[in-house]
Amino acid sequence: MRLHLAMILLAGLTCPLSAAPPAFDRDVAPLLVRRCLECHSGADPKGDLDLSRKAVVLGKDGPVVPGQLEASVLWARVSTDKMPPKNPLSPSEKAILREWIARGAPWGSDPLDPFAVTTDRHAGRDWWSLQPVRRPTIPSVGNSSNPIDRWIAARLRDRRMSAAPPADRRTLIRRVYYDLLGLPPTYEQIEAFVHDPAPDAYEKLIDRLLASPQYGERWGRYWLDVVGYAETCGYERDQPKPEVWKYRDWVIRAFNDDMPYPRFVLEQLAGDELPERTTASVIATGFLRLGTWNDEPNDPNEYKYDRLEDMVHTTSTAFLGMTVKCARCHDHKFDPIRQTDYYRMAAAFWAGFLEPGPRELLGGPDTRALGVEGVFGWTDRGRQVAPLHLLRKGDPKRPGPVIEPGHLSMLPALDQPFKAPPATAKTTTRRLQLAQWIIDPKNPLPARVWVNRLWQHHFGQGLVRSVDNFGFTGEKPTHPELLDWLAAEFVEGGWKTKRMQRLILLSATYRQSSLHPRQEEYTRTDAGNQLWWRAERRRLDAEALRDSLLFAAGKLDLTRKGGPSFAPEIPADALEGLSMKGAAWKPSPASEQGRRSVYVFAKRGLLPPLLTTFDFPDTTMPSCQRDVTTVPTQALALLNNPFVHEQSRALAKRVGIARDPGEQVTRAWQFALGRPPRESERRAALAHLEKQARTFAGRPEPKRDALASLCQVLLNTNEFIYVD
Amino acid sequence: MHTPSLYPCGLTRRELLWEMGGGFAGLALLHLLSADGFALGKDAPSTVEGPLTPRKPHFEAKAKRCVFLMMNGGPSQVDTFDPKPALAKYAGQPLPPGKKFINSGGRKMGYLTPAFRKFRPGGKSGLPISDYFPRVREHADKLAVIRSCHTDSHAHGSALVMMNTGKTFIGRPSLGSWAVYGLGSVKQDLPGYVVLMDKRGGPISGQPNWSSGFMSAAYSGTLFRPVGDPILDLRGPGYLTREAQREQLDLLAQLNEEHHTARPGSRELAARSASYELAFRMQAAAPEAVDLSKETRKTLQEYGVGQKPTDEFGRNCLIARRLLERGVRFVQLYSGGGHLEDTWDAHQSIEKNHGLHGAEVDQPIAALLTDLERTGLLKDTLVIWGGEFGRMPFSEGKGEPGRNHNPYGFSMWFAGGGVKGGIAYGATDEFGFEAVENRVHIHDLHATILHLLGLDHEKLTYFHQGRNERLTDVAGVVIRGILA
Repeated sequence: MRLHLAMILLAGLTCPLSAAPPAFDRDVAPLLVRRCLECHSGADPKGDLDLSRKAVVLGKDGPVVPGQLEASVLWARVSTDKMPPKNPLSPSEKAILREWIARGAPWGSDPLDPFAVTTDRHAGRDWWSLQPVRRPTIPSVGNSSNPIDRWIAARLRDRRMSAAPPADRRTLIRRVYYDLLGLPPTYEQIEAFVHDPAPDAYEKLIDRLLASPQYGERWGRYWLDVVGYAETCGYERDQPKPEVWKYRDWVIRAFNDDMPYPRFVLEQLAGDELPERTTASVIATGFLRLGTWNDEPNDPNEYKYDRLEDMVHTTSTAFLGMTVKCARCHDHKFDPIRQTDYYRMAAAFWAGFLEPGPRELLGGPDTRALGVEGVFGWTDRGRQVAPLHLLRKGDPKRPGPVIEPGHLSMLPALDQPFKAPPATAKTTTRRLQLAQWIIDPKNPLPARVWVNRLWQHHFGQGLVRSVDNFGFTGEKPTHPELLDWLAAEFVEGGWKTKRMQRLILLSATYRQSSLHPRQEEYTRTDAGNQLWWRAERRRLDAEALRDSLLFAAGKLDLTRKGGPSFAPEIPADALEGLSMKGAAWKPSPASEQGRRSVYVFAKRGLLPPLLTTFDFPDTTMPSCQRDVTTVPTQALALLNNPFVHEQSRALAKRVGIARDPGEQVTRAWQFALGRPPRESERRAALAHLEKQARTFAGRPEPKRDALASLCQVLLNTNEFIYVD
Repeated sequence: MHTPSLYPCGLTRRELLWEMGGGFAGLALLHLLSADGFALGKDAPSTVEGPLTPRKPHFEAKAKRCVFLMMNGGPSQVDTFDPKPALAKYAGQPLPPGKKFINSGGRKMGYLTPAFRKFRPGGKSGLPISDYFPRVREHADKLAVIRSCHTDSHAHGSALVMMNTGKTFIGRPSLGSWAVYGLGSVKQDLPGYVVLMDKRGGPISGQPNWSSGFMSAAYSGTLFRPVGDPILDLRGPGYLTREAQREQLDLLAQLNEEHHTARPGSRELAARSASYELAFRMQAAAPEAVDLSKETRKTLQEYGVGQKPTDEFGRNCLIARRLLERGVRFVQLYSGGGHLEDTWDAHQSIEKNHGLHGAEVDQPIAALLTDLERTGLLKDTLVIWGGEFGRMPFSEGKGEPGRNHNPYGFSMWFAGGGVKGGIAYGATDEFGFEAVENRVHIHDLHATILHLLGLDHEKLTYFHQGRNERLTDVAGVVIRGILA
């Protein structure tokens, strides 16, 4: 990797014996940036002292008097360690300042730009993730034809390590089914794949799964996490958002149709502003209506700014992997995002229906404004709106200067103000311009962020572990060149997601076993698997778990795709926490209960406990990586929840209550785990059936109960819930 | 490369565990179990920190546990803990025009109205408390009444989440989550953070009031029901006896063991197997914690269990004591549930509303304080009383006996570990309308609660989407004046 400019400078600073006198731009400016400008610059500098400007530093009554150390307040402060307050300058740093002042304090570029370069405190515009994506040369290591493997192999070779052996076909088919569909393969599908003699059996499998309609239901759900999808407003009334499910279906279809990524961005941010707008593209703007909405905020006028923050945060997290919202109150502490940048971006949403309106519109436009019926979307109030003021400290009561809409200054190549809307436009076209800026090939973030998300969901973690944070406080990519190669390949290949997934899935890196012969040794040096020397074993997420329970029971209904969500049965006990208990939850009819979990009604005041217990995320903010917790309440749910018992009994029925026990055991294993039982398992299962039948002897059908008990145990196993 | 010095507490736990490998929660659980005397077998890590591992506070804690008596709906300060004799003088007059406020819900405007019940001095301190709380008054010397609270919202939904999470918008971790995140939990077969609801319903905004927000779900509050099975899914269908379930768990353990043997070094698998044993124990421990049959008749009587109208809240207070003594870190009890008069939301009549809800909670709260003192728990247990806001000193319409919401000034009280007793802190104006002296914002309350639990609210951070998040955001000052 490139050496950082700042690191070179640092090296220079720690070397007080350097003979040359300090040069301002090379030595003094970075020192001021690094040690002083954190507080003494920007819109509201501490002590009203802006050390980034020559006119202030060297001006009348300024803190530096050229050539006169004794008269220079700055020197008085730093030489006595009064400044910087917590972490005084080192002797070599002081030497630079002393020399500089003594030699007449020559100034260079003006004003100093605190965000130009990365320091040890924050990222500058030279930060890795903001640099253009370059297509690196593929290393000539190993014999894999898949470039991914070359990069992985190169780093492993450097460390004298090797990748894990390939996973066997049984493991592989289960992994790839869950990865692409969120569902397990059937016993028959596994057997067919294991015995498929075709050399391209695996490729055919991948192509079949990528073409499956269940693929979009799986991958769409990942995006719904990122955008914080829910179907109610939250707060006291927690009103349902009508027709918002159309947005969910739009997302699922976008994945199934392999919508090119630029289109995916354009429609969600500006589907109403596109010249070629369609009903579907207006549905996509539902993206901007997913946030919580309080119909009774403390101050409706101030509440606009909180909604604005929500939109800026979701947009920048989802597409840029940066936390722009931090700059609402002040320049970003860690990333080169100025406070004015926040308002530039916020101006894109400012033109929308943020003003307090009729309660029944739930904080958005009515259908007349949208121009389409039955759509829960977003649009501007007109082509011209009141200007947006910067808020000092983010406080609506302290408006500052007007900020013109524009792009984030962290990408200088694309730093320009927005254009006025064309005369024919009905909207400001600001969101359209924001979307076009995001998908501009010169913007390096979206492609990097997107391929990282794809990697994350295939490998359990991203190449950049902090998938939602490509800034200073995030993680660096484990393989920067691989990330860039993938990003370049993505853009050059037409921004097609499935193509990238195919590439990833066909790599040997993906097909590794989750076990390595030298696991223990490797774990000591690389416990985090930063070098990707094995596959990560993963626990099913909440939806995959619920779907798999239904699947094993033969109750999963894959035919009911899309449409309004369904309300699952929720035990009365779980309604205790609602302020309106009775009216709040009406389960859908039994015929709906077998639908996939992506169609579960997401009510903010009451997310289904079976899902939240297994780490279904909070829906108020973008959620880019789910937690994986292991807590006893999960065991309680799988042991006792009525839904799980229902599936256990259904599985028992499917296995065949009248069959002989040996056959029952075989079939139960095939349905639940996709394989026949081993001999030791068979013995234990038979003993279980016998023992439980005795325990249940007083019941009408002890054998049925015993079989259901066995089935439930299988649905509780680690084998069922973990994917190797 | 970023330096650990960026983070006030070093790397966040999540990052630390990231660096140590996936399955972090699993690792954590293993540690808990080992601390709890479990045999773990070959994959047991020796020292791993995790979500619920007991952790040392930042400094010596005055309180090891906390019970928050949440008066849902907003009790009236001028009728309970903030006597305003001047209201008698101004009765029938409007609030002076200089006083700005939002008329929540656009309700009818009435006139300044004196307290509906008399205030009397309590204890040696003579701290005045009204006749809505005669039994609590006997404990006046234990209370630090903060009369100068103010909050950011006049609406229940956002004020409740403000009190519970520090922001008026939903999605932030709640106070109990921060406590458990900071301190872990000492008792692994009970949840670390328990919420007991009022039978009439939950608080407005629901789940976000006890959610862990962007933190791991391991830190969210667990709803405990006061009768029957306290936790969801604690028991299966009736025929599945404990023996039958033991048989299931034995088979499960055997199957998991075979699966695990083929996957050496997989600590998350061991952790998940172990979680079933913990669940099995929780099935016994949780009902035991709410089983009041071993309590003496005298105790039950003191709490008002079995009597009207104290039965429900009395039961909850007694359960709270049992949970606290069993090691639960944070317990929140709701008085009032659902809407309007089912809560402390006395729009129609202070006397009717506070008369009822006061009678429901006064004796149980007094009994809880007595009991905590008797068992020695009070010296390191923090007790908090209060609602999401207060009420206006004027009525809703001429001659009407109800009062509207008031976020500008209201009272709360603290008692127990580290709290100075028998004092009133801060003050509202002469009408009891707005806090004017030693104003205490919710962030300050939160900072103080964390402080008493041994946590520095500026250091207790959770790294989320590029930001070190705090319960107190960028504000909060510990209220030194109430510290013992």
